[in-house]
Amino acid sequence: MEIMYLMIGLSLFMAIGFVIAFVWSIKTGQQEDLITPAMRILQDDQKTNKL
Amino acid sequence: MYTEVLEEVICYHCGDECSETPIIHQEKTFCCHGCEQVYELLNDNQLEEYYNCDLNPGISPTDKNFDFLNNKAFRDRLITFSNAEFSKVSFHLPAIHCRSCLYLLENLQKLNPEIIKTSLNFGKKDLTVWFKEDQLSLGALATLIASLGYEPHISNAAEIPQNNDQKKLFLKLGIAGFCAGNAMLFSFPEYLGIEDGSLQQLFSYLNLALGTVAVFYSGSDYFSNVYAHLKLRKMTIELPILLGILVGYGRSVFEILSHTGAGYIDSVSGLIFFLLIGKWFQQKSFDFLSFERNYKAYFPLVVTKIANGQEETAPLEDIQVGDRLLIRNQEIIPADAYLLKGQSQMDYSFVTGESELIPIQAGQSIYAGGKHLGEAIEIQISKELNQSHLTQLWEQQAFKDPNRKTENWENFANKVGMYFTVVLLSLATMAGIYWYNVDQSRWSNAVVSILVIACPCALAVSYPFALGHGIRWLAKFNFFIKDIQTFERMAQVDTLVFDKTGTLTLQSQQEPSVHFNRDLNDTEWNAIYSLVFQSTHPLSKQVKKFLQHRSILPLTEFKELSGKGLQATFDDLFVHIGSAKYTLNKLNSPEGFISSETRLFVSINQEPIGFIEFPWENRPGVEGMLHSLRHQYEVHLISGDKKEHAAHVLDWFENQDHVKFECSPLEKMEYIQALQKQGKIVAMIGDGLNDAGALKQAAVGIAVSDDHLHFTPSSDAILKGSELPRLGEYFRYSKFGLQLIKASFLLSLVYNGFGLSYAIQGNLYPLVAAILMPINSISMLVIATWGMNWKGRQLYRSKIRF
Repeated sequence: MEIMYLMIGLSLFMAIGFVIAFVWSIKTGQQEDLITPAMRILQDDQKTNKL
Repeated sequence: MYTEVLEEVICYHCGDECSETPIIHQEKTFCCHGCEQVYELLNDNQLEEYYNCDLNPGISPTDKNFDFLNNKAFRDRLITFSNAEFSKVSFHLPAIHCRSCLYLLENLQKLNPEIIKTSLNFGKKDLTVWFKEDQLSLGALATLIASLGYEPHISNAAEIPQNNDQKKLFLKLGIAGFCAGNAMLFSFPEYLGIEDGSLQQLFSYLNLALGTVAVFYSGSDYFSNVYAHLKLRKMTIELPILLGILVGYGRSVFEILSHTGAGYIDSVSGLIFFLLIGKWFQQKSFDFLSFERNYKAYFPLVVTKIANGQEETAPLEDIQVGDRLLIRNQEIIPADAYLLKGQSQMDYSFVTGESELIPIQAGQSIYAGGKHLGEAIEIQISKELNQSHLTQLWEQQAFKDPNRKTENWENFANKVGMYFTVVLLSLATMAGIYWYNVDQSRWSNAVVSILVIACPCALAVSYPFALGHGIRWLAKFNFFIKDIQTFERMAQVDTLVFDKTGTLTLQSQQEPSVHFNRDLNDTEWNAIYSLVFQSTHPLSKQVKKFLQHRSILPLTEFKELSGKGLQATFDDLFVHIGSAKYTLNKLNSPEGFISSETRLFVSINQEPIGFIEFPWENRPGVEGMLHSLRHQYEVHLISGDKKEHAAHVLDWFENQDHVKFECSPLEKMEYIQALQKQGKIVAMIGDGLNDAGALKQAAVGIAVSDDHLHFTPSSDAILKGSELPRLGEYFRYSKFGLQLIKASFLLSLVYNGFGLSYAIQGNLYPLVAAILMPINSISMLVIATWGMNWKGRQLYRSKIRF
């Protein structure tokens, strides 16, 4: 059962990592606009040269 | 005589049908020079990709000038950040609608090098621009964006900014999910009955830490809300929930610290997680709509002032009694005033509900909110804006307290919550006293289990989910409801009050009817077309649309007489168009005359020919709607119009006592109050500023709008005009929603009764309580979601068949 202590430690470590990532994403406003980035990624790249 | 070959030509930019001779540029057709210019601009700047994202994506641009934004008051309000290098500003652009808009607006820096970068929020239709303000003024920037077809909506200072609660709720929800998930993990040894003393102890201490965060951080709103309500001596559904949470948590702390057990931390944090999901779900906000507009949003932001013989623009707030203003065609009178120069046809339909245009002569007084039709006039302000005839309505009590409706409304959940708390507390006390006297080892167990198991979380979960789904479904049908409380009030309405002008009737989009005493030949029709082509009067525009594809004749001696009509000569034809008197048509009316219809009279060579009529017509489908609503609701009609304008509408209202005409906006509001005194729960359906008081006073105020991005008076819900005939179905849907909640509440009572019967006997194991509680919450969530979606799909199918 000693292995449990290690695994619990690891799982808590990871879970807390996710929580921190989540808090960061909220604080930096990443959840505020969920529509535009999805559209933006579908835009074609600029045609750089026009003759 | 030559006629053009006519076929439908679509504008390459905006997709509108080109009504007159299309403009051809680079083998592409355009409906107007504005569209052509936008195309040219984009083409010159290598942005023609715009047209590849979507077919004819453009919007016909306006040539409106936004230089007034350079005024310090506007600039300071709009610019959110500014330093020596750049300034940052956000515009609301209601015209945004497709991927092409995104492409164009995020490439604005190519059009003007002073723009550093732009970022679009598609959902909110907001564009943020970083630009060099010393090179490019704010007004010029706004004018540039407007010239592309995206006219910025400059909000009035009075419009309420959005708050930042959403972010906090997200944080609390995320943390609660983390706590609940991990607490369950750490409770596994307990579930499985693994006996390992040290591990169990470690796990229960970890649980305690997670539970403390969940209760005191994620659940903090419950503490503050219950405290606020108790101060007002009110009991809401949140009280028994908080009680359940606190008792469950307290018991767990005691068990863990005294090493007597593992507690209920997993259940408690799971419950908080579910409750917060519900809270998040009910907060559906329609960012692109505004439910809180007051009259100020309807007025222009700037006016043209005449001072020392010079015209200058000034912000609306700066005008004072005695100022002289210039009002152009279609502009809105910003304050009560006298007409100094010129003549006007005043359209008060939006502020009073009267559909007839009122002719105004110099010297007569005009009221704020009227729309001026005709040539530019000069007026002198006689009263300040906030003391004007129209705005007195907003001084009423109903407008003072923004939360009046939700605060005073006894909603189902809170009503139940009150009884629930009383029953629950007495049950717990009785069981406690009984067991204290019979078997002292059991009393605390019994009390705790009762309070935890009976916590009305089912109601607290099914309520936001059912109603939240409800407003999401209705939004798909262009019926936007402000919040779930409004949806609940809709279910309880028993009386419907309709406004007439603009709600049940609307200015016809169909072809006007022609009442001429003889047939005209082609040349005469062409002459009429050429004549109206010269004019910008709204009726001329409608005739122009009606007669499109006629050809233009070279007219001579063209004259436009303000307030009277137009005249011109072509060869030997002398054509007059305008009022009856001006065109020598006889004034007496034909039979069945309904004067709310607008007419344009014609005479040729001084001979009266007749008139073209633009009727107010009934909105399609409203007759059937009113007939079906009559069975379930008491239906009323109030109108600012005169009775003789409504003969055709009157037949639909059985009880003529329920119909009232010539109501002022204030009288409309009092009419609703009178109904409420009789104990009726009233929904008001209206459209204009004249209904604003009634909309505010009614339990549910529904603003009908044909273009919901345009101005709607402050209301609880916004309904697209074309959806009005289905109003009855939407009311039924809200009723179904509440029935569903009640049914699932009964079901959860069965659950609770089952649990309680064990708990009172002191026989309930913590494990059973821990499993029963989340199962209860999840099943409520599933029932609410499934039920509302099932009914919503039915609504959707019936709409397609409709």
